[in-house]
Amino acid sequence: MPVDTDVVALNPVAGGEPAGGPRPLLVARGVSRHFEGMHAVHDVSIDVLPGHITGLIGPNGAGKSTFLAVLAGTLPVSAGTITFDGNDITGLPAFQRARQGLVRTFQLPSEFGQLTVLENLLAAAPTNRGDSLFGALLGKRYWGADEDRLVAQARALLERFRMSPKESDYASSLSGGQKRLLEIMRALMLQPRLLLLDEPMSGVHPSIVGEIAAYCEALRDEGLTILIVEHELHMIERLGNPVIVMAQGVVIGQGTMTALRQQREIVDAYLVG
Amino acid sequence: MTYYLTTLLVYAAVDVLACLAISLQFGYSGIVNFSFIIFQAAGAYTAAVLSLPKDTANGGFQTYVLGLHLPFPVPWIGAIIVGALLAPPIGLVVLRRLRSDYQAIAMLVISVIASLMITNTPAFLDGAAGLSLVPQPLSDIFNPYSQSYLWVYAIGGIVVAAIIFVVVQRIINSPYGRSLRAMRENELAAGALGKNAVALKMTVFVVGGAIAALSGAILVGFITTWAPSTWLYPETLILFAAVIVGGRGNNYGAVLGALLVPVGFEEATRYLPPFGPPGLIPAIEWVCIGGLILGFLWFRPRGVIPERRRIFAPAKPAAVLEESGAGRH
Repeated sequence: MPVDTDVVALNPVAGGEPAGGPRPLLVARGVSRHFEGMHAVHDVSIDVLPGHITGLIGPNGAGKSTFLAVLAGTLPVSAGTITFDGNDITGLPAFQRARQGLVRTFQLPSEFGQLTVLENLLAAAPTNRGDSLFGALLGKRYWGADEDRLVAQARALLERFRMSPKESDYASSLSGGQKRLLEIMRALMLQPRLLLLDEPMSGVHPSIVGEIAAYCEALRDEGLTILIVEHELHMIERLGNPVIVMAQGVVIGQGTMTALRQQREIVDAYLVG
Repeated sequence: MTYYLTTLLVYAAVDVLACLAISLQFGYSGIVNFSFIIFQAAGAYTAAVLSLPKDTANGGFQTYVLGLHLPFPVPWIGAIIVGALLAPPIGLVVLRRLRSDYQAIAMLVISVIASLMITNTPAFLDGAAGLSLVPQPLSDIFNPYSQSYLWVYAIGGIVVAAIIFVVVQRIINSPYGRSLRAMRENELAAGALGKNAVALKMTVFVVGGAIAALSGAILVGFITTWAPSTWLYPETLILFAAVIVGGRGNNYGAVLGALLVPVGFEEATRYLPPFGPPGLIPAIEWVCIGGLILGFLWFRPRGVIPERRRIFAPAKPAAVLEESGAGRH
């Protein structure tokens, strides 16, 4: 459900809530991440509205991926707070955030190479009774039903993403674009509420870029909230609403792409052409 | 001949157990535990001091703690518990924050420190001289020098190894084993998908430590002696060589590696005619083991029996079929 207005009615930098809109699913306030004096992310505040695809753009080195990693918990914050669905998750490690429904993908392919495509999906499934030492020792009679259910769920995803023929292939043998799709499917196995996509279209064949965009739109229409970091501006223009622009570790603007293109400092910093 | 054969079988069982533990930790979970041998040593020492009488009993020629003279199987159970308990303190130091290459270095250092500490603390476990006259299991009931005892011990060791094989297979063929392999492939991604990598590694470290300690208990119960010279850090490298040669991520490979490298390779070189200065043949053995590791990592990194690809049956119930690594694409 895209937002219709050109400029989104919220003012996260001032710490405000959206005026009359839905409660943000994720709220970051004053988030900073420093690496020994280098401010990769500095005092960033954003809101991610439910049911939207929020775009996060900026030049190389703007701190987008670092910010995404901080939101997902793969990097700890140096300062600031992050709340997810009203709960403060600032101190939680990545695995606990994922269990709450905040799931990310990675800028570089991060498939489990020596597992098959189907196993990659099953490895992400959170509710298998055999996924503990105790459960494993009890044997397949204990966890077989869960496994069957999850295999069916994973196969449905493979079918939807037209990857069924690759089910038994090693993930390492997939093409770059297929690995991107695999990562998205794997994240969906956790039934996330917020999906953080880190440059899912980089290094991908143009035909698959359109495919990924279409899947993102379909997932949004089903109610999934997505925060996407991407360099493909035409895709962000198509998908992202609102769009947040970062440069040198700080947010320099947000709104629709149309509105952002009219802001001189943003055009100078990033949207050249 | 009976003694030779039964000794070979006991060593085979012990090495199979050790290689299964390394297979679980290294092959399936990606933990490069270069301190592995200290877990085996902990098990051997524990079984020894639990089964030995007070250190004053044999004329006081050796000094050690405990000396509880407990009956079988208590010393073996005690060994398993100590092996498992030793894992958390080491794991908490090494496995939580360090990257895997630094983990390996830290483990190696811990192994060296442990060896030096035991060697230089004679009041604890008799220092460099080590423990001897360790009572063999049930030796107060049966004659431990009889051929039948030797055979029963050897077969018992093999049965224990077989049971542990089944247990480890059950672990790695489960969804939990899949999580371990996912962590091995990409720990960061596994964490982002809800896997608690530290908990996974710690659990595997504890289970592997317990198996290693059991192997030490079985060995010391047979050879009746244990000293720091038997568990120097290069012993770990032999076991890693076995798993690399046999096949990482495949328990059948680990068993094959245990039979080929620590047992087969060392037995084969035993019969070389003596040549060169003293110590040359053992030195050449080490060179050969190093060459084996390098050769396999270069030419056949997945080992003799590679990790199997798991293919799920198309229809329900979703039974897992297994196929060798060279399967369809």
